[in-house]
Amino acid sequence: MDIITQNHEILIMLAIGFGLFMAWGVGANDVANAMGTSVGSGAITVKQAIIIAIIFEFAGAVLAGGEVTATVRKGILDASIFVDSPHLLVYGMLAALLSAGFWLLIASSVGWPVSTTHSIVGAIVGFGAVGVGIDAVAWGKVGTIVASWVISPLLAGTLAVFIFKSLQKRIISTETPLENAKRYLPFYVFIVGFVIALVTLLKGLKHVESLKHLGKDLPTSMMIAVIVGIIASIIAAVIVRRIKTNPEDDADFQYANMEKLFGGLMVVTACSMAFAHGSNDVANAIGPLAAVYSIVESGGDIASKSVLPSWILLVGGGGIVFGLATFGFKVMRTIGKGITELTPSRGFAAELAAATTVVLASYTGLPVSTTQVLVGAVLGVGIARGLASLNLRVINRIFLSWIVTLPAGAVMAIVFFYALKGLFGA
Amino acid sequence: MARNDISGLFGKSPINPLQQHMKQVHLCLKEFGNFAKAAAKQDWEKAESIRQSISKKEHKADELKKKLRMNLPSTFMMPFSRRDLLDVLLIQDSIANITKDLAGLMMTRHMVLPVEVSQTFQDLIAVCVKTSAAALEAINELDELLETAFSHRERKVVDDIIGKINGFEHESDGVQHQIRDALFALESNTPPVDMMFYYRAVEWLGETADAAQKVGSRLEVMLAK
Repeated sequence: MDIITQNHEILIMLAIGFGLFMAWGVGANDVANAMGTSVGSGAITVKQAIIIAIIFEFAGAVLAGGEVTATVRKGILDASIFVDSPHLLVYGMLAALLSAGFWLLIASSVGWPVSTTHSIVGAIVGFGAVGVGIDAVAWGKVGTIVASWVISPLLAGTLAVFIFKSLQKRIISTETPLENAKRYLPFYVFIVGFVIALVTLLKGLKHVESLKHLGKDLPTSMMIAVIVGIIASIIAAVIVRRIKTNPEDDADFQYANMEKLFGGLMVVTACSMAFAHGSNDVANAIGPLAAVYSIVESGGDIASKSVLPSWILLVGGGGIVFGLATFGFKVMRTIGKGITELTPSRGFAAELAAATTVVLASYTGLPVSTTQVLVGAVLGVGIARGLASLNLRVINRIFLSWIVTLPAGAVMAIVFFYALKGLFGA
Repeated sequence: MARNDISGLFGKSPINPLQQHMKQVHLCLKEFGNFAKAAAKQDWEKAESIRQSISKKEHKADELKKKLRMNLPSTFMMPFSRRDLLDVLLIQDSIANITKDLAGLMMTRHMVLPVEVSQTFQDLIAVCVKTSAAALEAINELDELLETAFSHRERKVVDDIIGKINGFEHESDGVQHQIRDALFALESNTPPVDMMFYYRAVEWLGETADAAQKVGSRLEVMLAK
């Protein structure tokens, strides 16, 4: 216990520093993947994408990120093991942050496939199992998390098939795609707005002290979600109606104007992607930081129920914005250039499917990889014969990222864990 | 920052290159019409320059073919089978190859068809060009097909074009028959070697229409995945 009280300030400072580092990595790399599809289809500029990312990543993290933060903070490890040695948990979480941050930095500069989620989970499991003991890891929960990594892309893919097929039936392959796009697109936006709002109200807000009461009863939540959905669909309807269509553009390719309408709505889907990403991935940086903070502040009380102070979220949000500003915008531009083959209608279907899946994962508190979910969604559109060519080698890369990232995060975390232990004392 | 991102997922669409290739192939055949006119007038200088131009276009089509093939690794997931796509490409390419060979044959032999079949031969060329133009039209529908994810509505459009192609091909068979009948009547008074090559020219020309028809039917298979 003395270790914690003696080093109170330095431990907090380290946690903030490492948390910022990790969040920076998320902003520099991960956000660009989430937003790249919108940029790539030419619907929004990099600048707009960054503004959207800043606002909605933040909103997602604050309003809906609580459940995943809780998992990363205390779900992966069995807290009871640490009751007599809370300082080990503090070292471990610091080591995990540092390791995941480093891994992001190394891997993305070399060009290896990375996932922030996988690296932080690998790191926490690694230090827990090796540094403390096999029993320290809540293997049941870890199993669920790993299963969610398989299920989430599959779910997103399935959803994408359904969304795209329905778009095809209602809009794309009808006699009057343009009119039908104007008529039906707001409806799709309504559903997404409704789902995201409902999930946020039911699960996310209970972690936000001042808004807790809103999510208490189902009817109220439903009402609010419907209202949010309606507002979102009105915005969509306005956007769609304001887009200028030019019949001459359809001379060469008769769907040019319809794609323009979808393009206008990419702003909306980009917002939902950023929100979804914020609700899930930001927790990777915030979770360990929150764990360190609550233990240190309570003087070593593992079971402390303290709520997340808002400045911790600011660290997460700030780090991401910093990452975006320094590197993320470049990555976003590169990615955007790489996926010009994705037309707005396809991007629309894929992003809606991905955002919904990620938000649902956030609801259950499962840390998933937004990038992999998005890959699943895009493949879904491909299976529905919506895309000209998809390079399936990416699936190998995903498996590779599993095989490489998990142990890499773990090994580094173990090294840092012992280093911190040596530095501050066992 | 290297390619560890989602953009690695997106391959280059083979549709535009396939269309470019068919366009090039069609231009070859179209130009053969001018070649045959120059040859009929025995303007061999002009014919030679057109033959060179055909050869250049055939070469360009070859390049497009190679490039498309190179960009089509087997790890690509496409809305149609890779095999079918490559088949369409090869059949398209054969149109340019035949045209080039035919122009070469007529050039080296300074072939002038007997006056009795001269006009019908020009007619046959026109029908073949028409058939390949329809095949190009069908191939050009591929972007629309992809955009609608191969909906029935759009496939109907392509089916109609393919019906048109089949009609033209049938027409070309008829014209070929006429020429053969006329040539047969001339056999006794014409040097046999010349005769042989007249038949061959007609045969090759007819093959371009056959190939154009095959492009259509292969395309049908490709869409019906």
